[in-house]
Amino acid sequence: MTSVTIRDVWKYYGKTMAVKDLNIEIEDNEFLCLLGPSGCGKSSTLRMLAGLEFISSGEVFFGDLKVNDIPPRDRDIAMVFENYALYPHKTVFENMANPLKLQKMNKTDIEERVVWAAQMLEIEELLQRKPVELSGGQKQRTAIGRAIVREPKVFLFDEPIAHLDAKLRSHMRGELKHLQRRLETTTVYVTHDQLEGMTMADRIAVMHEGVLQQLGTPSEIYNHPINEFVAGFVGEPPMNFLDCRIERSGDAVALVYENMNLALTDAQSRILEEKGAATEVRLGIRPDDLTIAVGENHGMEFSAKIFVTEPLGGDMLIEAELGRDRMTIKRKISELGVPGDPCGIALNIEKLHVFNRETGEAFF
Amino acid sequence: MASREIVRYKSPARSAFSILVILFLIAFFVWTVLPLAIMLISSFKDLLDAFKLPEEGDWGGVGVMFDFEPTGAHYVELFTEKHFGLYMRNSLIASLGSAVVSVFLGSMAAYALSRAEFRGKKDLLFWIISTRMAPVVAVMVPLYVIFRSSGLVGTLPGLILAYTTFNLPFAIWILKGFFDNVPYAIEEAAQCDGANRWQALRMIMPLVAPGVAAFIVLCVLFGWNDFLFASIIGSGGAKTLPVATAELVQPVKIQWGSIMAAGVITTVPMMFLGFLIRRYMVTGLTMGAVRE
Repeated sequence: MTSVTIRDVWKYYGKTMAVKDLNIEIEDNEFLCLLGPSGCGKSSTLRMLAGLEFISSGEVFFGDLKVNDIPPRDRDIAMVFENYALYPHKTVFENMANPLKLQKMNKTDIEERVVWAAQMLEIEELLQRKPVELSGGQKQRTAIGRAIVREPKVFLFDEPIAHLDAKLRSHMRGELKHLQRRLETTTVYVTHDQLEGMTMADRIAVMHEGVLQQLGTPSEIYNHPINEFVAGFVGEPPMNFLDCRIERSGDAVALVYENMNLALTDAQSRILEEKGAATEVRLGIRPDDLTIAVGENHGMEFSAKIFVTEPLGGDMLIEAELGRDRMTIKRKISELGVPGDPCGIALNIEKLHVFNRETGEAFF
Repeated sequence: MASREIVRYKSPARSAFSILVILFLIAFFVWTVLPLAIMLISSFKDLLDAFKLPEEGDWGGVGVMFDFEPTGAHYVELFTEKHFGLYMRNSLIASLGSAVVSVFLGSMAAYALSRAEFRGKKDLLFWIISTRMAPVVAVMVPLYVIFRSSGLVGTLPGLILAYTTFNLPFAIWILKGFFDNVPYAIEEAAQCDGANRWQALRMIMPLVAPGVAAFIVLCVLFGWNDFLFASIIGSGGAKTLPVATAELVQPVKIQWGSIMAAGVITTVPMMFLGFLIRRYMVTGLTMGAVRE
C-alpha cells in the first residue's frame, strides 16, 4: 500500500526506444490502468516497476523509496503474468504458498493465508491439483491467488485475462475490480483492451509508441480525449472521423463536409478562433451521439446511404456511407433500414470533437 | 506441439506395402538380434560344443546349435583369473564420472546460454558444437601427446577427462534446449515471489531433471561402449571392458567361450539401462502451467 512515482523514465532495448520520458504519479490504493496497443511500452513500464527490466534513465519511487537498483524480491511487489507462469511441478497450494515460504512464514500461517485467498477466489477444491489439470480460468485465479496471499506494496497485472474466453473475461473484470477494492492495495494493470480500462480503473494512462498520451479518469478519457489517438482508441465502436473544412461567415463558424454544412455553437467557434485552427480539420463523433433517419426527406445535416446493419440485441449498429467515408451509428433497434437505403445522419453538437488534422491534437 | 492421428485410407497398394514392411521388419529384427543371441548362447557353451554346426543347407539341423550342456565356467574364469571385476569397475567409474562432470558443467553453461544475451553468443554456440563435428580419430594423436606429457595416459582421471572433452559440448547443446523449453517467466515469477536468482534456478531444476537424467544415461552409454579412447588413452592403468574383451583375442587357441562371455558382460548392463531410459523418455514434461 504505497504511492508509486514514475519520474522522467526512459527505456531503451539496445537502440530501440520503448518508453519515452514517462511521468506518472500513482496514488496509494489507486487502480491505475496502462492502456495502449501492442508495442506502446506499457508492459515495459510494468516490468520496470517490478524490477524485471532495468530503467534506462529516470527514477521510480515506491513512496519515498527509490527502487531503481532494488531487485524484484526486495521491492515487495506481487505480479500476475499474462501467461500465469505457474510452477508446473507444484500443486495449486504450493504455488500459492511459495511467496510465503520464501518469506519464511511458519506452516500454520501459510496454510491460513492460502486457504483464505483460495476461498476468495473460489478455488479451494483445486488446492491439491497441478496446473496441468486446471482450466485457463482456474490457472489465472491460481496466479492471482499467488499474488494476493502476501500483502505487497503494489500489485502488478500484465494482461491477466487476455487469454480467457469472452464470457469469463467479462466475469473476471468485475471480480478483479471488487478484489482490488477489498484488498486496498495500489494496483497497476496493463491491458490493450479499452473496455477493461474503462470498467476497472480509477485512472487510465493511455500510451502509444512509448509516449504517454493522456492520464485521466475513464470519464475524462472518454468525454475529453486530448488527441485523435486517445479518441479513437477508447470507446467501442470507435469514434467516427471525418475530414472537414472550417468556413466562417461573420461570427458564425461552420464545418463543411462536401456539400453538407454543420453549424457550430458559439463556445466551440470561440475555441477554434482562440487556438488558431487551420481551415483543414478533422471532426470526431461517437456512434452513440449520432441519430439516423431512414428515407429521402430526413431534414438532417448529413445525407448518407446505409451500407450494413449489425443488430446487437438491444441496440443496432448501422454503417452508412457518407461521401467517401463511412460512419457507424449506434441506436436502439427501431429503424427499419436495409443496405442501399438513403438516410440522414444528425449529430449531437454538444458531443462533437474537432481535431487538428496535422498534429491530431483536440481543440475540443 | 501435439501429435495427431494420421488419416490414411486403406487401398490395395497400401495393404501390399504393409506386408512388405512387416517382412522387412522381421528380417531386420532377426539381423539385429541374431548376433546377440549367438553371443549369449555361445557364452554358456563348452569350447567343443561351440563349434557344433549343422551341415550346409541342412536347415532342419538347426537344433544342433541348441544341444549342449550350459556351463558358467567362462564367466567364473573372467572374474577370477582375468580381473574382469576390475575392468567393469573402471568402465563404470570412467563413464559415470564423465557423465556427472559433463552434466554439472554443461548445465551451468547451458543455463547461461539459454537465459543471457551477450555479444558473440551465436559464435560461441557454434564454436561449442563445432568441436563435436570433428572426427574423433583426427584428434587422437595430438590428444595422446598432450595427455602423455601431462601424465594422464593410463589413468582413470585422464580417461574421464577425455570423455568429457567430447561429452561436454553435446551436453551444453542438448541441455540448452531443455532450458529453453522452460519459460523464463517462471523464474521471473519466482523472483517476484521473493527468490534470488539462485533460488529461482533451483526452482526450475525439477523441470529439466528428466532431460538431465536422460542425458546422464547417454553419456554413460557413450563412455561404457567406447573403444577408441579407452584403448589409446586408457591403456594400462585404466583398462575398460571393451578393451579387455578385445585383448582376449589371442593369435593361437582362441578362447571363444571367454570372448562371448566378455561380450555379454559388456552388453547386458547397457541393455538394462536402456530399458530404464525407455520409461523416462516416454514420460513427457508437464508444461501445462504456462499457456503455450
